[in-house]
Amino acid sequence: MTSAPPGYTHLPALLDGIVQLAADGIISVDTDERIHLFNAGAEEIFGYAAAEVLGQRLEVLIPERYRAEHHAEHLPHFARAHETSRRMGTRQEVFGRRKSGEEFPAEVAISKVMVDGRPVYNAVVRDVTERRRHEAELRARGAALERSNAELEQFAYVASHDLQEPLRMVASYTQLLARRYQGKLDAQADKYIRFAVDGAQRMQGLINDLLALSRVGTQGKAFQSTDVGVVVQRALRWLGRAVEESGGTVDVGPMPLLVADAGQLEQVFQNLIANALKFRRPDVPPRVAVTAEPSDDDWRFAVRDNGIGFEQQFAEQIFVVFQRLHTRAEYAGTGVGLAICKKVVERHGGRIWTESVPNAGTTFFFTLPTHPPHHHP
Amino acid sequence: MTDPIEILLVEDNPGDVELTREALEESKVHTRLSVARDGVEALAFLRREGAHADATTPDLILLDLNLPKKDGRAVLADIKADPVLRHIPVVVLTSSQAEQDILRAYELHANCYVTKPVDLDQFIRIVQSIEQFWFTVVKLPRTP
Repeated sequence: MTSAPPGYTHLPALLDGIVQLAADGIISVDTDERIHLFNAGAEEIFGYAAAEVLGQRLEVLIPERYRAEHHAEHLPHFARAHETSRRMGTRQEVFGRRKSGEEFPAEVAISKVMVDGRPVYNAVVRDVTERRRHEAELRARGAALERSNAELEQFAYVASHDLQEPLRMVASYTQLLARRYQGKLDAQADKYIRFAVDGAQRMQGLINDLLALSRVGTQGKAFQSTDVGVVVQRALRWLGRAVEESGGTVDVGPMPLLVADAGQLEQVFQNLIANALKFRRPDVPPRVAVTAEPSDDDWRFAVRDNGIGFEQQFAEQIFVVFQRLHTRAEYAGTGVGLAICKKVVERHGGRIWTESVPNAGTTFFFTLPTHPPHHHP
Repeated sequence: MTDPIEILLVEDNPGDVELTREALEESKVHTRLSVARDGVEALAFLRREGAHADATTPDLILLDLNLPKKDGRAVLADIKADPVLRHIPVVVLTSSQAEQDILRAYELHANCYVTKPVDLDQFIRIVQSIEQFWFTVVKLPRTP
């Protein structure tokens, strides 16, 4: 601001125009704190007309309860300091006082300039009432959401846990019925028994999966340094038979060390690889590739297959609990596996998505941050 | 024919009582099953109090944790604090998989902790392997 660009001969007029245009309040005071400049923005914020405050002391704009502090600390400190500008109110709360006496939260930037050999202090004041209100609202909404999520999780846990007891009775006794009476009644009775046994078993599967899903949130372990390569190998150990039966292969690339919940990560790999093997094309042995790639502050993992694929339009839907794209007769499953994956990945501060081409294959991607969020439940 | 092996089942759910009976019947070991429906009755049986004056001391106790009147953990604590009863092996047989239940049971000197499986075949296998282990594998003290 020391030299005018060529062509502007009326710089003061130009600056004045800008000052009056600014939505922020712009106020200048001298060393006695007398107000020399009070722009339209300041009039709007404080409710004073410029004429009312010009020549007045700055303290009319400061709530009474802060005046003492202002005189004792802020101004002398700033006057002494070598710094020529600073911004207040971005870290701590600063309050202004309107003509009506109402206080408002503000952000204030202050600069010191020499005019005719005397220091002048300029303040740019922004009324952040609205922003603070929005922030408070967002915080309240976030807290409410977290609470209701936690309650839902607790509900799912208790419900699925307590449902197990009566279900165990239904399942056991239909099985006992089958054990003792299959073939001793008529064909119709055998069919009824079969449906009852099958239904009870499916419900057990659902309840177990629901329990597993709710445990992601309620029973997660602390994040620890984890060798993802070991995690993938452990997941594969569970899948040994599935790999063998499918006649396919699973290739695993180099894997990083990360800070994570190893048990939950194992569930993610197990689910994704199991899906890759399950949704294979008939007569095409599954080829599954598990890879990891670093980027700035996270790792991107991919589980790629050459299976049946699906229409990309379903890519979001399949992560929703109980959502399936096939009948149980075609492919077994409860539709909980990918919901568990999503929940685990999100608990780690990552994200999960999928790209698929029908009859060509599917790739599931997920990211895990190098430094996961700290104290997640 | 040898004397039957005496088992006390402490279980309030008649469905589970019946299943355990079925499972024991399918095995080769000759057992006799007595049932207590709550914790108070279990201790009365073991101490031959009241209606249980003629009760035989069991060779093995199958104990559920969630019981009316007196809960299984308290029953376990009482048995293991009783010099006359504490030699009897107690198998905790429950649907609880909670870590703290498992730890607490062993702290109270349960002889083992078994979770009831949901599947019938597995349940039968487990009851039979409990029987196998305690009556053919391990040596138990002779009681007067």
